[in-house]
Amino acid sequence: MQWPSGADEARTRLVAALTAVGRGDRAALREVYDMTAAKLFGICLRICGERASAEDVLQTVYIKVWERAGQFDAARASPITWLATIARNGAIDWRRSVAGRAARDTLPEQAAFAVADGAPRADQSLVAAEESERLHRCLEELEDHTRLCIRAAFFDGSTYAELATRENVPLGTMKSWIRRGLLRLKDCLGDG
Amino acid sequence: MDDHLTPAQERDALAAELALGLLDGQARSDALRLLLRDPAFAALVAAWEARLAPLHGEWAHAEPGDGVWSGIERQLAERPAETVTAIETRLRRWRAGALLSSAVAAALAFVLITRPVPAPTPAAPQLAVARIESDAAGPLVLARYNQSNGLMQLRIHGFEPGALAPELWVIPEGGAPVSLGQIGHAGEAEMTMPPPHRLLMTDGATLAITMEPVSKTPHPAPSGAAVASGKIITI
Repeated sequence: MQWPSGADEARTRLVAALTAVGRGDRAALREVYDMTAAKLFGICLRICGERASAEDVLQTVYIKVWERAGQFDAARASPITWLATIARNGAIDWRRSVAGRAARDTLPEQAAFAVADGAPRADQSLVAAEESERLHRCLEELEDHTRLCIRAAFFDGSTYAELATRENVPLGTMKSWIRRGLLRLKDCLGDG
Repeated sequence: MDDHLTPAQERDALAAELALGLLDGQARSDALRLLLRDPAFAALVAAWEARLAPLHGEWAHAEPGDGVWSGIERQLAERPAETVTAIETRLRRWRAGALLSSAVAAALAFVLITRPVPAPTPAAPQLAVARIESDAAGPLVLARYNQSNGLMQLRIHGFEPGALAPELWVIPEGGAPVSLGQIGHAGEAEMTMPPPHRLLMTDGATLAITMEPVSKTPHPAPSGAAVASGKIITI
């Protein structure tokens, strides 16, 4: 399940497969699955925290992909971003559900709070390099604690309350850090 | 909030919080409800998802078990084969329009009939109506609900058959949308509301319609903004 060396080629294949899924082609869904399951499962596993739930969520993610592929517009979104957003939102929906909260409560702290930071890795080449560089440059301009919390929210699916507990600051302080950080980020990206 | 944000900044910060997934409980329900009802807010959320998108390049990969794909196939086998086809041009136009303005493409009229139990006299039932938001040319749904037996009757006009079907939602005041299932493109329909849903049909709740992929079972959450909505108001 490796991406071909050329990111453009991978992207073209994925767009073609997603477009076919949009027409109701089930074989194309398998193709999308083969190309993306490892990435989307990585997202579900990271946010759900354990395999069984992450696999359940992954199933619902591909059912959503099947249902929504007709709405995918290659002119407006990269296919991998579109898929990753569905997976991340699906995993967060689960995490915020009653079942998700109960399951997370039984996990060891460390599994729940593996911090994400450091150098970009994995299939970075699949997202536009220029945009990626700009976002990372703007994130670097934020205070360390703000950047770390924003990254933890993105990669762990942490809530304000969880981040406040983890950083041992009042909830209001955490909200203030992150809100200010996000608005600064937007200014830095220069599209606001 | 201690940061004295302008209302526009507050709204944008809320969109960022929803996109990032920071919210929980009531705050999350409120934001999801806004996402459904307000296309301008939905556009802000989408813009934040796009800003953060480069981070998606950093996820570590993991191999799912073999059972996942067979589970997906099993779920697909239970669905009608024509579930998804390309979106109609007309609907694409509507979606584009919905992002640019809050124009309402369909109208929803709602009448709630409350029968006092026991009825003292066979008098006229109490009525509740929904605010009607209408673009006169658009599709129209008339709904009538009898609280004593949970029967919802619908008269549906003017949705064109296609890949997406109108799905009816009830949104409790301060709560997240709950699907009442999909309705046809035209004609009359009846549904008996399951008891848990009957509790949601109260004064102040909102009924809304979104366009969703065809599904035999109600969707857990709407995938886009409402094409019509109306508040239940007792008169």
